[in-house]
Amino acid sequence: MTATDVEVSEEPVSEPPPVPLDERISHRGPMRRWLISPEIGALIGAVIVWAFFWGNGRTFGEADTTLNWLDVAAPTGIMATAVALLMIGGEFDLSSGVMTGATAIQIGLFSRYFMGDGVNIGWAIGSAFLAAAAVGWFNGYMVNKTGLPSFIVTLASFFTLRGVMLVISKRLVGKVQVDQITEQKGAKFFKDWIAHEWKFTEFGIRDNLFLALVIAGGAAFIYGLLEQSFIRRAALNLAGFGLTAVGVIGSATGFAGLLWTEGVGQNALFGVIAGAGAVLAIAGTALARWQGRTSTGGATALPRDAAQRLGLGIACVALACLLPIPFDRRQGLAILSWTSPGLRPVVAVVAAIAGAALAVRAMLSQMSEKKNAASWGKLGLFALYSGILVTTLAICFLQLTTVQALRAIGMLLLAGAGLTFMMLARGIAGRSSKRWQLIIGLLVAAAVLVLAFVIRADSGAVRFRTGMFGAMMIGAMAIVANTLVEYLMEKRTHADADADRLGKRLQLIGGGAAFLGLIIRLVWSNLTPEHAAQVKAAGGSVGQNVLRQTVVWWLIVAAIGSYVLVKTRWGNWIFAVGGNKEAARAVGVPANQVKVGLFVTVSLCGCLAGTLIALRYGTVQANQGTGLEFEYIIAAVVGGCLLTGGYGSVIGAGLGSAIMAISVVGVQTTPWNSDGRFAFLGGVLLLAVLVNNFIRKKAQEAR
Amino acid sequence: MTITEANEEHALLELRNICKYFGNVTALENITTRVEAGKVTCVLGDNGAGKSTFIKILSGVHQPSSGEYTMYGSPVHFTTPRDARNAGIAAVFQDLALAPLLSIWRNFFLGVEPMHAGILMRTAFMKKTAKEEMAKMGIDLRDVDQPVGTLSGGERQSVAIARAVYFGARVLILDEPTSALGVKQSGVVLKYTRAAADRGLGVIFITHNPNHAIPVGDRFLLLNRGHSLGDFAKDEISRTELTRLMAGGAELEQLEHEIGIR
Repeated sequence: MTATDVEVSEEPVSEPPPVPLDERISHRGPMRRWLISPEIGALIGAVIVWAFFWGNGRTFGEADTTLNWLDVAAPTGIMATAVALLMIGGEFDLSSGVMTGATAIQIGLFSRYFMGDGVNIGWAIGSAFLAAAAVGWFNGYMVNKTGLPSFIVTLASFFTLRGVMLVISKRLVGKVQVDQITEQKGAKFFKDWIAHEWKFTEFGIRDNLFLALVIAGGAAFIYGLLEQSFIRRAALNLAGFGLTAVGVIGSATGFAGLLWTEGVGQNALFGVIAGAGAVLAIAGTALARWQGRTSTGGATALPRDAAQRLGLGIACVALACLLPIPFDRRQGLAILSWTSPGLRPVVAVVAAIAGAALAVRAMLSQMSEKKNAASWGKLGLFALYSGILVTTLAICFLQLTTVQALRAIGMLLLAGAGLTFMMLARGIAGRSSKRWQLIIGLLVAAAVLVLAFVIRADSGAVRFRTGMFGAMMIGAMAIVANTLVEYLMEKRTHADADADRLGKRLQLIGGGAAFLGLIIRLVWSNLTPEHAAQVKAAGGSVGQNVLRQTVVWWLIVAAIGSYVLVKTRWGNWIFAVGGNKEAARAVGVPANQVKVGLFVTVSLCGCLAGTLIALRYGTVQANQGTGLEFEYIIAAVVGGCLLTGGYGSVIGAGLGSAIMAISVVGVQTTPWNSDGRFAFLGGVLLLAVLVNNFIRKKAQEAR
Repeated sequence: MTITEANEEHALLELRNICKYFGNVTALENITTRVEAGKVTCVLGDNGAGKSTFIKILSGVHQPSSGEYTMYGSPVHFTTPRDARNAGIAAVFQDLALAPLLSIWRNFFLGVEPMHAGILMRTAFMKKTAKEEMAKMGIDLRDVDQPVGTLSGGERQSVAIARAVYFGARVLILDEPTSALGVKQSGVVLKYTRAAADRGLGVIFITHNPNHAIPVGDRFLLLNRGHSLGDFAKDEISRTELTRLMAGGAELEQLEHEIGIR
C-alpha cells in the first residue's frame, strides 16, 4: 500500500517552495502585448482607410470632412457599443436598427398627437425610453425563457416593430413619415441640450500645437517602449547622452531647415539631417540608459524560411514599384469601361482561368481516393462555375472602380504584403543572428524609402506626393532606429515591475498627447476669417465645420461601455456569459439577468440614437433604421468581437463604425463612382476579420 | 489552514443510507460514506454507476430522496448549489466552469470579484492573488492575462481547484479531474489534489480509474449501478481487491469466461 502513495506525499505542502522560473517561458515584450489586443485589427484598418482617402480625396482630412464623418459614425458608434457588448455576451439583436426608427417615430407621434394635440417632447422622449426598455426586456426574457437563438426572437421583434411603425404612422399621419418634430412643444429646449450643434472656427496655432504635441508625445512613447524592452544600466553612460545631444541638435537643425527652405535639394538635405539626428538621438538614449549587447549571436547563415520570406518580400515591393507602369495616368478619371479594347478579353480570360484553377486545386486535394468519371465530371462543373463566378466578380469590380483606384489598391496590397514578408524575415533571422536582423531591418527601411519615392513620382494626388512621402520617410527612420536599437541592446527577458510601470505610464501619456495633437489637427480648421473670405470671394467653398452633439454622446457611451466591460464586475460577467454561460452560472454569475441587461442596453442606446435622429432632422421615415442592424454587427465584428461571444472590445466597435463612416464620406470626396463603396466595404470587412482571426490565433498560441 | 469549528467527534461530511430515485429509476440506494478534513475520499465507479448523481446530491443540485446528510454532525439540506457553496462545499465539474477566452485572473474571481466602492474591480489585487494562488499549487504562470483556454488540461484543473481553495471551500468535490488527461498531466492533478487535502480540506475525488484513486485516497467508496459495493478506509482494502472490485469483480470474471480470455 505504502509504495503507491510515495508519488504524492513527499512534498512539504504547507509551505510551498518558491516557484522556480520556468525556462520555457519568455518575457513578452511591450509590442507583442499590444499587438494581441482585440481592437488592433480595427485600428490598423481605420488608419489605412483614412490614409487611403486622405491621399485620394481632395478635401478629405480637412476639418469639415472630419466632422462630417464623425457625424456619420456617431449614431452607428452609439449602437455598435451596445451591440458589441451584447455580442460579447453571446447574443444578437436584429431589432436594434429598427429600434432607432421606432423610437424616433414614437417621439414624433407623441409630441404631435398624444392627448389630442400632443405633449411636451420631453414626455415623448421619456416614454420612448420606457418603451425601448420594455422591448429590450422582452427580447432578453424571451431568449432566456425559450432558449431559442436570439436571431429568431429578435427577428420577430424586428418585424413586429416595423409593422407597428408603418400601421400607426399611416393611420395617424396618413403618410409613411412623421415630420415637423422639431416644431413641437419643448423641441427647441431639447435640441439645445441633447442635440446641440457647435460651430468650430479657425484655430491659428493649430499646426504648431499639433507638431509640438506629436513630437513630445512620440518621444515619451518611444522612451516608454525602450524602458519596457531593455535592461537598465547600473550607472548612466554619459557617452550615450552625448550622442543624444548631438542627435537632438541635428534633428532640430534639420527640422528648422525644412521649415525655412523651399528648394527641393535643400529640403532633401535637411530632411536627411533631421532623420539621421532623430535616429542618433534614440540610439544614444538607449545606449545611455540601458545595457548594450555583448554578443551578436553565433550563426551566420540566413535561415531558409527567412531567406524565402525575404525574397518574396523584395519581389512584392519590386512589383509594387513597377505596377504604375501599365496604367495610363491620364485616364485617371475615366471608369475602366467594359468596351475598352484589348483589356476586356484579357481580364475575362485571366479571371476565368484563375477561378477554375482555384476550384480544381481545392477539389483535387479532396478527391485523392476516388477518381472516376463522375467525380471528374463534378470537378469540371465546379471549375466552370467558379470560373464564371470569378469572372463576374472581376467585371463587377472593374465596372465599379477606376483605373486609379485599382492601381492604388494594387500598390497598397503589394507594398503592404512585401513589407510584411520582409518584417517576418527580420523576425525569423533575429532569432538566430543579430547581424542578419540588422541587415534585413536596413533593407526594410530602404524598401520603404524606395516606395516613398515611387509614390511621390507616380501619384497624381498632391497629398501623396507631400504628406504620404513625409510619413513614409518618418516610417523608414523609425524602422532604422528600431533595428539599430535592437541590434545594439540586449532585450529584457524577465519582468521588471518598476520599469514596466514607468514604461506603461510614459506610453499612455505620450500616446495621449499625440492623440490630442491629432484631434486638434483634424477637427479645427486653420482658415482665418480673412483667408476664408478670400476663398469665398474666389468662388471656393468653405466648410461648415459643425460638431454635432451626437458625436459627444457617442464618446460618452463608448467610454462608459468600455469602462464597464474592462473595469467592472459586470464586464467580467458579460465576457463569461458569452464565453461559457453554464460555467458562469455555476460560479454564481446571474447569467439571465446579465443577458436581459444587455438587451435592454441595446434598446436604450437605440432610443438614444432615435432621439438624436428625430431632433436633428425633424422628419422620420417609417422605414428609418431598417437594415442598419447589420452595420452595427459589422462594426462590432470589424472591431474584433467574436461572433460566437466571449471576446471583443468596445473601442474596436467604435473604430469599426469609424471605418465605415470614413469609407462612406471618403468616397464622396474622391472622383470615383461612389457605388463602389459597398464593394470596398465588403473588402474592408473581409480583411479586418482575417486580421482579427490571425491576431486571435496568435493570442491563443504563442505565450 | 485550520478549520477551528471542526468537531472532533464528527466527520466533516457524513452520508448515511442516501437514496435517490428519479421516478421509477433508482439512481442511488443506501450509500454511506464520510469525508474528513485533510483526507481524500475517492468515489469509484464505472459509467452509469451513479457517481454524477452522488456529487449532485453533495453539491446541492439534487436533494436525496431519503437518508442522512450531515456536516459536522448536524443535518444539512441544500436546495441550490449556492447553499452548498455557502456552506463551503465547492464542486469542480468536468467542464470546469471556466470561460476559455477569459483571462486567468478574471476567471479566478468570476462571480466574486473584489471591488473598490462597489464599482471598480481591484484589478491589481486580483492579478496578484491569482498568480500567488496558482504558485501555491505549484504552477508558475507566464502571464495571468492569458486566456484560460491556452492552459493545458491539468493547469486548467488547478485553476479551478485553486479558486475553490482560495474562496474558503472546506470540501472540494473533483468530478473526474483526470479523465481527459494524459499520464503526466494526471500525475500533476493528483499532486494538487493531495496538496488541497494537506491544506486541511476534505476532498471527494471521483474517478473510474483505480490507479488514480489509490495514490491519493484515504477512503474508497465503490459504486456499481447505483449500489454501494463497499466503503473502505485505506487500511481495510488491498490494492488488488480494490482493482478487482472496480474492474467489475464478478462481472469481469463472467466477461472473461464469455470471451474466452484465460
